[in-house]
Amino acid sequence: MSFDGYQFDPGVYDEMFQAEGTPREHARALHNALDRMSAEELAGVQGRVNQTFSRESISFTVYGDAEAEERIIPVDPIPRLLTASDWQGVSDGLTQRIRALNFFLQDAYGECRIIDDGVIPEDMVKGCPQYRPEMQDFAPPNGTWVAICGSDVVRTHDGFQVLEDNLRVPSGVSYMIANRKAAKASLPRLYRANRVQEVEQYGAVLQTTLTELAPGGKSDPVIALLTPGVYNSAYYEHMFLAREIDAELVEGQDLVVRNGILYMRTTDGLQQVDVLYRRVDDEFLDPLVFRPDSLLGVRGLIDAAQLGNVTIANAPGTGVADDKSVYAYVPDMIRYYLGQEPLLQNVETYLCRRPEDLEYTLDNLADLVVKRVGGSGGYGMLIGPHATQEERDDYARVLRSDPAGFIAQPVLALSRSPCLIDGDFEPRHVDLRPFILTGRQTRIVPGAFCRVALRRGSLVVNSSQGGGGKDVWVLQDEQQPPGDAPANTPGDAA
Amino acid sequence: MLSRNAQNLYWIGRYLERAGHLCRLLRLQSEVLIDRPVREIHFGWNRIYSNLDREPPGGSVDLFGDEDFALADSYALADDLTFERSNLSSVFSCFAMGRDNARQTRQCISPEVWTTLNTSFQKLQLLDMPSVWQGEPRFFYQETESDINTFGGLTESTMYHDEGWSFLQLGRYVERVGGVCSLLNSQIEISGLQEDGEYFEADWTSLLRIFHAVEVYHHIHKADVVPGRVLDLLVSDPLLPESLSRSMNLAMTEIDNIGRGPRRHSSRAVQRLTGRLSSLIDNEWPDSEDRITLLREVDEYNNELHFLITAAYFEYPVQDRPPAWMGNR
Repeated sequence: MSFDGYQFDPGVYDEMFQAEGTPREHARALHNALDRMSAEELAGVQGRVNQTFSRESISFTVYGDAEAEERIIPVDPIPRLLTASDWQGVSDGLTQRIRALNFFLQDAYGECRIIDDGVIPEDMVKGCPQYRPEMQDFAPPNGTWVAICGSDVVRTHDGFQVLEDNLRVPSGVSYMIANRKAAKASLPRLYRANRVQEVEQYGAVLQTTLTELAPGGKSDPVIALLTPGVYNSAYYEHMFLAREIDAELVEGQDLVVRNGILYMRTTDGLQQVDVLYRRVDDEFLDPLVFRPDSLLGVRGLIDAAQLGNVTIANAPGTGVADDKSVYAYVPDMIRYYLGQEPLLQNVETYLCRRPEDLEYTLDNLADLVVKRVGGSGGYGMLIGPHATQEERDDYARVLRSDPAGFIAQPVLALSRSPCLIDGDFEPRHVDLRPFILTGRQTRIVPGAFCRVALRRGSLVVNSSQGGGGKDVWVLQDEQQPPGDAPANTPGDAA
Repeated sequence: MLSRNAQNLYWIGRYLERAGHLCRLLRLQSEVLIDRPVREIHFGWNRIYSNLDREPPGGSVDLFGDEDFALADSYALADDLTFERSNLSSVFSCFAMGRDNARQTRQCISPEVWTTLNTSFQKLQLLDMPSVWQGEPRFFYQETESDINTFGGLTESTMYHDEGWSFLQLGRYVERVGGVCSLLNSQIEISGLQEDGEYFEADWTSLLRIFHAVEVYHHIHKADVVPGRVLDLLVSDPLLPESLSRSMNLAMTEIDNIGRGPRRHSSRAVQRLTGRLSSLIDNEWPDSEDRITLLREVDEYNNELHFLITAAYFEYPVQDRPPAWMGNR
C-alpha cells in the first residue's frame, strides 16, 4: 500500500511530509515501512487495534443517543510522530503556563493583585460563571489549584499554539495509554525501531502527584476518585485511573462528611479519605454549597476541604481560569506572575464583549470560529467557513444578544497526519492533548491523546462529534534517526 | 474495601452462577430434544420453569401435546429462557447484569476476567434463537457454560484473593445453594420421591446429568438410580462440586475470610446463620424424615442469608459515628 494517492496540501502543516512525497527525516522509517506494507497487512494492523479496543470495551458515552450509550472510540492505527525537541518545546511551554495559571487562581481567590494592577478586568474574573466566591481565601496544599491539566495544543506552519486549557476535569488520558497499548500490539517492530518514549508510567506519576498534595504532608494518604457514575461519558477513564493509582472509585452515595472529615463507606465501616481526585463538575460537588439538588457529590465536602482535612483535585473554582475569555489573558498572566515571555503562543482571540471585537466578528463570521465562553466538547460553536448563510445569520442574532458569552478565533489550518481510511492513507486534521501534573513539582509524561477529525475536511476533533484518536510517538533522540526494526522482533511485517 | 464495590462483586458472582445454572438445565434440555420421548421434554421444561418460579409463555407447558407441538413449544420456551430481554432470569439478562456489575467494578477485577466476560457477552449479543436453533443448541449451551467456567477459573487464577474476591465467591455460593435447593424442590414436587412408576429412573438420572454426576453416582453406589440416594449425593456429599454441603462450606470459608465488618452484631448474625445452614445440611439431613420440609428450610435460610450479608457489609446505616480512634484533626 503506497502513499501515491496521498493528498498533500502545502497550506497545511503535515506531520509526516515536508513536501509532496518527501517524508520528514524523523518520520522516514515509519513512512517507508508503511509504504511497503500490503493492503492485507494494513488491514491486519487496523484489525488488531480494533480488537484491542473492542475486547476491553474502551468506550465513551454519547449523550442523547440511547442506542450508542456505550460506544467504542474510533482509533486510527498510524501513529503521529514528534521529535524530542518538538516535545521539549511543548513541555516547557505547558510547564510555564500551568505555573502562571496556578498563581492566577491563588490570586483571583485571594488578593486579586492582577485585577488591581489592571491586567485583567475584574468583571471578567468575578463575573465569570465558573468563578466560585465560596472558594475565596481558600489555600490548597502547595498552592496547587490545578493538579491535573489537559491542554489542547495545535500545530500550524507557525508552530505549536495552545487552543485551550482544560483545568476542571480534563479527560482523555486513558485513551493515550489505550492507544499506546493498541499500537504496541499492532505495530510491535516499528514501535521498537522508532525508540519511542514510554507513557505507561502516567498512573504512577499521577499517584505521586496526588500524594504530594495530601493534607499535612501525609506520606501514605488514602486516595479516592469521585465519579458521577457508570453513565458518565468518561466512566471508562475513571475506572482505568482508579486502578492505575490504586484508589477506590467512589460515587457521592459512598461518601459522608462527619465533623469536617470525609469518609467513604467500606466493608469495614467508615474510612477517612485524604485526597479526592474528583471527576465531577464543581456545581455538583457539595449540595450545601453549590447545587442543592445534586446527588453526585457529598454534603459538607467543601467545608472539609477548607478545614484542610481533605484535598480536592482539582480544587473547585479552577474553571475561572479556563473560561474562553480569560484564556485570552494567559500570556499576560505569564508576563505578570513569572516575568517571562510565553514559550507557547495562544491562538488569536477576539473577545466579543469588546465592541470592536464584536464588530470584527460579525463582519467576518464566514472566516471565523465562534465559541461560547463556557462551552466544551465542540457543542454550540460555529465554524464560519463550513456554515450556511442562514446558520451564520442565526448565530449573529444570538451573538448580538449576549456578546460577553462568546469569543471568536480565526479558522486554524490544524496540522494533518496520515490516517488509514477504508484501506487508503488519507490526511486528517489532528490536535494534541498532553496532561500536565502538578504536585510539589510539575511533570508531563512524554505523550498525549491525539484527537483526529475523522471526517474528510472536518476540523472538529471531539469524540462526541465524530472524532477519533491515535497514538503519539515522542521519539527519544532525534540525533539518531529511527532505523529498521531488528529482524527478530516479532510482529508487523515491516 | 468500598461497600458498593463489594456488593457489585457479590452480584457478579450471583449473576454468573445463575446464568451457568440455567445453561446447565438448558444444555440437558437441548439434549433431551434430540431423542427422548415427548413426556421427558415436557418434564424438563416444567422442572426448569418451576425451578425459576416463572410462568412459561402461554401460561403452562402442555403435558399432552404431540411431538411437533412439543418441539415448536420448545423453541419458544428456549427463546424465553435464553435471549428474552424482559425475562430477568434469562441467560442473556443474567449475563448482561453480571457484566454491568463488572463494568462498574472493573478496577477490582483482573483485566483477564473482564475481557473474558466482555467478549462472552459480545458473542451473546450477536446471537438470537433462530441462529442457535438452526445449529446445535446443545453446543451453544455447552459453550456458554464453558465461558462461565472459564470466567470462574480466571477469577481463581488471575485475581488477588483479597476481600473483593471473597465477596465474588460468596455470591457464587449463595446463588448456587439457592439454585440447587430450588431445583431439588422442583424435582420432588414434579417427580415425587417414590421409587416406582415408569419414569422415576429417567427423571432422577436427568437430574444427575445436570450436575455431571451420573458417573460419580454409579461409582459410589454401583446400583440403580433411586431418588433418596440422588438427593443424598446432591445435598450432603462434601466432594461433589455443586452439592449443597460443599457450597455451604465454601460460603462459610469466604465469610470467615471477609471478617467482622463494621457492625459486630450484623456479621455475627451472618456467621450464626451460615452455621445453622451448614448444620441442617451436614448433620440433620442424613437422619431427617421430612426431607422436603428440610430443603425448603434451607432455601428460606439461604434467602435470609443474602439479606443479612447485604445489611452487614453493603447497606449498613451511615448514621453510626466513626470509630473513636478517628478524631478530628
